[in-house]
Amino acid sequence: MTISRRVFVKSGGIALFSLGLDPLFLERAAMASFRPSARPPDRPILVCLFQRGAVDGLNMIVPHGEPLYYQERPRIAIPARDVVDLDGHFGLHPSLAPLKGLWDNKSLAAIHAVGSPDATRSHFDAQDYMETGTPGVKSTPDGWLNRYCRHDREHADTPFQAVAFGPQLPRILAGTAPALAIDDLQAFGLRVPQEAARDRLTRAFEELYEGAATGLLASSSQEGFEAVQILKRVNPTQYQPASGVQYPQGRLGRSLLQIAQLIKAGVGLEIAFADVGGWDTHVNQGSSEGQLAARLRELGLGLAAFAQDLGERMRNVVVLTMSEFGRTIGENGNSGTDHGHATAMLALGGPVNGGKVLGRWPGLDPANRFEGRDVAVTTDFRDLFGEMLVRHLGAADVAPVFPGYAADPGRFPGAIKG
Amino acid sequence: MTRQPVSRLGGWSVRAALAAAVLLTAYPTNRLTAQALSPRDSALHALNRLAYGPRPGEVDSVARLGVMRWIERQLDFERLPDDRLAVRERDFKLLDYNREDLARRYGDALRERQRMQREMAERGDTTNPPGAGGGPMREFRELGGQLQQLAVVRAALSERQLREVMVDFWSNHFNVFVGKGADRFLTPSYIEETIRPNALGRFEELLIATAKSPAMLFYLDNAQSIAPGAVLPLSRNGRGGRGVRAPRGINENYARELLELHTLGVDGGYTQQDVIAVARILTGWSIERPQQGAAFTFRDWAHDRGEKTVLGVRFPAGHGMDEGIRLLKRLANQHATMHHVSRKLCARFVADEPPDGCVDAAVEAWHHTNGDIRAVLRAIFTAPDFWAPQALRTKVKTPFEFVVSAVRATGAEPDETPRLAQVVARLGQPLYLQPAPTGYPETQVQWVNSGALLGRMNAAVALAAGRLPGVRVDLGGVVAASSDHDRLVSDVDARVLAGSMTAHTKEVIKRQLADIGDPLLARALAVGLALGGPEFQRQ
Repeated sequence: MTISRRVFVKSGGIALFSLGLDPLFLERAAMASFRPSARPPDRPILVCLFQRGAVDGLNMIVPHGEPLYYQERPRIAIPARDVVDLDGHFGLHPSLAPLKGLWDNKSLAAIHAVGSPDATRSHFDAQDYMETGTPGVKSTPDGWLNRYCRHDREHADTPFQAVAFGPQLPRILAGTAPALAIDDLQAFGLRVPQEAARDRLTRAFEELYEGAATGLLASSSQEGFEAVQILKRVNPTQYQPASGVQYPQGRLGRSLLQIAQLIKAGVGLEIAFADVGGWDTHVNQGSSEGQLAARLRELGLGLAAFAQDLGERMRNVVVLTMSEFGRTIGENGNSGTDHGHATAMLALGGPVNGGKVLGRWPGLDPANRFEGRDVAVTTDFRDLFGEMLVRHLGAADVAPVFPGYAADPGRFPGAIKG
Repeated sequence: MTRQPVSRLGGWSVRAALAAAVLLTAYPTNRLTAQALSPRDSALHALNRLAYGPRPGEVDSVARLGVMRWIERQLDFERLPDDRLAVRERDFKLLDYNREDLARRYGDALRERQRMQREMAERGDTTNPPGAGGGPMREFRELGGQLQQLAVVRAALSERQLREVMVDFWSNHFNVFVGKGADRFLTPSYIEETIRPNALGRFEELLIATAKSPAMLFYLDNAQSIAPGAVLPLSRNGRGGRGVRAPRGINENYARELLELHTLGVDGGYTQQDVIAVARILTGWSIERPQQGAAFTFRDWAHDRGEKTVLGVRFPAGHGMDEGIRLLKRLANQHATMHHVSRKLCARFVADEPPDGCVDAAVEAWHHTNGDIRAVLRAIFTAPDFWAPQALRTKVKTPFEFVVSAVRATGAEPDETPRLAQVVARLGQPLYLQPAPTGYPETQVQWVNSGALLGRMNAAVALAAGRLPGVRVDLGGVVAASSDHDRLVSDVDARVLAGSMTAHTKEVIKRQLADIGDPLLARALAVGLALGGPEFQRQ
């Protein structure tokens, strides 16, 4: 399927004359002219999953080999007998057992003690910093994934380069590069129950915009109608996951299923984003069972289903989880944990240097803690994200993506195979 | 800098008003409103920018009155009756609450949530996060929805349109985030008491009001900014109080945004040292606990008692809260501030990338009037750049402007549920929910993307069909149903699009109507296509 940016061919010349002062339009038009003649059949794809609310990295990737872990968490530690051991020191929360096979075949890695150089313990600030990619700077207008898209001109030929699953575009994808927010693939487009009426209304709006829109309104509407057309061919209502694959109930499973669907449809997806909440476990977070266990079960089942559904296609896909910070090493008076500092992230996919817990583990010793209470950050999240862009997606330079940060491949945690 | 004598300030305002009046009488309107614009074109332009778009027939009434006279009435908004809105505002209970009540109720809700958490812990109940769904915080989530809808209702129905536009502008310039902790209950009083009374007043007073507002102090963390080494005094009963965290030193967040966003602008010529000095000056500007009413308070014990220097100006040690007032007045009257804020105003009213001419005119008026916002606006609205043909229809509506202008164009009536505000949110602009202190951008690139445009088309079709939640629409009062499609389309153009429909759009709509026999259905489709089409996305 070839996706053309008809708008530039059809009306670009006129628009350039009549709206010569529309810099973004020019930028996008310039991108279009750089369009490669043929797209590789399966380009690398990065799927980001944001665990909003600060996941407890220590109960997700459990340092069961460390006695301090058990001393600090008398009620909520995962008993050693329940931990799914990974390397004798770390293990998976039992709810993540569905991922053990992926660990064993070396397509799953964990990166521990990763986080922000900024000390904030505010969800709001820390999520903002992780999404803008500029810790400590609140006024960054756009997200780092959007900045990446802006500098990656090769993919400017599809409306599906960057898609966030949710009602609104998240901060991480906000910015001047086109990105789609899709709450539900089946409902994307004009909402008219009967197909014939829907097609007719779509065509009517398309004609209106073809004839009377200029500049960005013209190009964006064209992208939208193209996306509608493409999705019509993809036919999301008929999607069947690979045989035997069952996604968990709930928003996360639905998002992952739709991402898999778009990947398989070959519509040019490069960046997908979804978020999943419920990690702010101040009270009664539970241990092998309970609140956190339920959230992790959904995550584990979701990721396992996704990998199984994509099958061979995973060879060029990486799923990366992220969360704004970790939680306190010690449990609190409510059998929960409070806002901490470093956390753990998971990387899953064919290109992943799997079967390892990566990053320098600072240990739980009080002398090595951040502010005396939290796991210290030994991997700046930009080193991990930067590695994904450079070594997985093939970005030549991440300096424009992470302004104010000198990217150094020597600091990459090694999450992608060399 | 010391406070200006009142008489001098008054003198400037009067002189500025006189100057404008002289301008208005000395030059015929058509000189001011540029050569090419007809009275209807100028009226439509003014209604698109100073208001949330025209209601049916309003372009003609403004053209008859004279667009400059209409603008003066909008600037002098206190004298415009606004009875219909006053009636509708009574539906919003949030206007009956004051901050102290809300603060105490919030404190109670917090305690109740903690109690539930303890109980759950004792029972060993680990099933649900406490307070999910209903719970004691529900009231405050609903309050946020009411606040958003009130903004929609005011923008749609107020006769004082320019004031509502300016309230929106300043709420965004001095952005706070209603989703952050105490801002759940502090934002309503921020809008009512901090922004609205100052929206067309003096910039300096507005700036000081925001600096002292509990919502801003909490949002940008100044409330917890404490001089290094300051010692928390023991409470009266001799205890520090449970849960009181150790003081963590100065917090630069507000200081940085004050310089970068609220006043000087990112290229305003300040350094990191200035940011730190500003933060030190503002140590101690804080808020009471919710149980005490969450009012602004100056905590002397938390204030940095050293000498500070900001932008080369010395602030001698030991002047407490006065240091901050002096600083804010200074910042309000810096040239960089005048330029930065004027440029932002011009980006709102003139063009995303405003020409220098209107910005310079605004800065000059600011100089002459010590930041009288009305005078600055008047300078923009009388600048040739504002009326230049290339300024017309160059701006794309934000989702909020799109929804409100569609409601106005169809003479619809939003209800008091938060549903129409939720439509605005789904189109990408949840009100008071921008986490970044930058507020929402004014430029089209943020708002124009394919998903958002499809969303607008859906909203337009739903509104015209009477299916958009949270709003009552009666197209019968706007366009007569007719099986004469030529007439129908020309009526929709005149009444709903204020005559801005292109020939191409008319042709496309007529083709769509060709096989539709039902006049009501035809009217709904024509209006839906008109509101969802490209002309209506611009202003």
